[in-house]
Amino acid sequence: MGSQSLDFAEFYRGARHECLRAVLVSVGDRDMAQELVDEAFARACASWQKVSKHPAPAAWVVRTALNENISRWRRRRREVAVPDPGKFADVPAADGASGGAVDPRIMAALLGLPARQRQVVALRVFLDLDTERTAEVLGVSPSAVKAHLARAIGALRDDLVHIGNLESQA
Amino acid sequence: MNDDQLMTAVRESFADVRSVTELDRIVSRSQAVRFRRSVAGVVAAVGATAAAGVAVAVSVAMPASGPAASLPTRGHLATSHPASGPSVRLAAWSVARQTNGNIKVTFREAADAGGLQRTLRTDGVPASVTFTGHQNPACQAYTSGGGPAFGPFGANTGPLSGRSFIHDPKSAYTTPYALVIDPSALPSGAGLEISASGTPGMADNFQLNVVLVRASAQCTGS
Repeated sequence: MGSQSLDFAEFYRGARHECLRAVLVSVGDRDMAQELVDEAFARACASWQKVSKHPAPAAWVVRTALNENISRWRRRRREVAVPDPGKFADVPAADGASGGAVDPRIMAALLGLPARQRQVVALRVFLDLDTERTAEVLGVSPSAVKAHLARAIGALRDDLVHIGNLESQA
Repeated sequence: MNDDQLMTAVRESFADVRSVTELDRIVSRSQAVRFRRSVAGVVAAVGATAAAGVAVAVSVAMPASGPAASLPTRGHLATSHPASGPSVRLAAWSVARQTNGNIKVTFREAADAGGLQRTLRTDGVPASVTFTGHQNPACQAYTSGGGPAFGPFGANTGPLSGRSFIHDPKSAYTTPYALVIDPSALPSGAGLEISASGTPGMADNFQLNVVLVRASAQCTGS
């Protein structure tokens, strides 16, 4: 394994979980997110000499995974079914070594957000990108990123506080 | 709960989500990706060479003032090659008027957005084109009866209403992107905003977005 491969290995081990979480928030399906992220990492590995020069390679991976999701959608010519948020709210959190144990109330709240707001949350929260980099990755203006994030936080807070109130009354 | 606490709660709720794919599998898959690319590259080069041959034949057989079938294709040459040896010159984009009046746009690289914008406008397509990652701030989404804007490459896929004014958009990963615009079918007062997200020049990461916007002098030129 050459030094270039070692570089990729280090990147993969350090970024794979965060990238998976970011894509999971965006697509809402654990298996699909894993498949998309694996494909994106494989492409990053195949073009590592170029991707490694990207200012945020993890963002490149997430963007590529989301593009692939759109591409697959277009090939299938039908809507990618986002799980019903209620489905997450009704089931207990899964417990497994491979992951997927997300608080179903938080997952449901996230899936209730519009797609662009979910993408902004994913990039800001899981990849820790700043506003400008998030804007660049999504192809929108920095002010749009701020607006999407503010709306997302407001909606999440409303949902989670509402849930908290219901629990405290029970 | 303040914003930071909320974001921390969201982040921590995903702490147990962990990728289960081993590095070896990714590396192995990357070899398949390289193979696909090499095959696609050969096919593209052969196709481009064949197309160049056809174009030469057509231009010889039909002068520029000939019938509609010989209407020219214009494009922006993005690559240069050494003078020696055979070479294939691919345009960053090309615009071709078809015999039925439709406009076919083929994208290969995000370059010379201004040139593409001028060419489309000259061909009767009110358009705003940006490849910088930011849209023209003067452009406003076109809505009809509260309906969504149209984005053949994005999440809001599907015709807005009535006649379809964009046909046959090609997938991001079956590069080059291509779409066929029917200018006469554009809704009254509407134009197209063509923009790019991702990293120009990095095909896997690049995403083209086409959205219906309100036509205006500041946005679409008319």
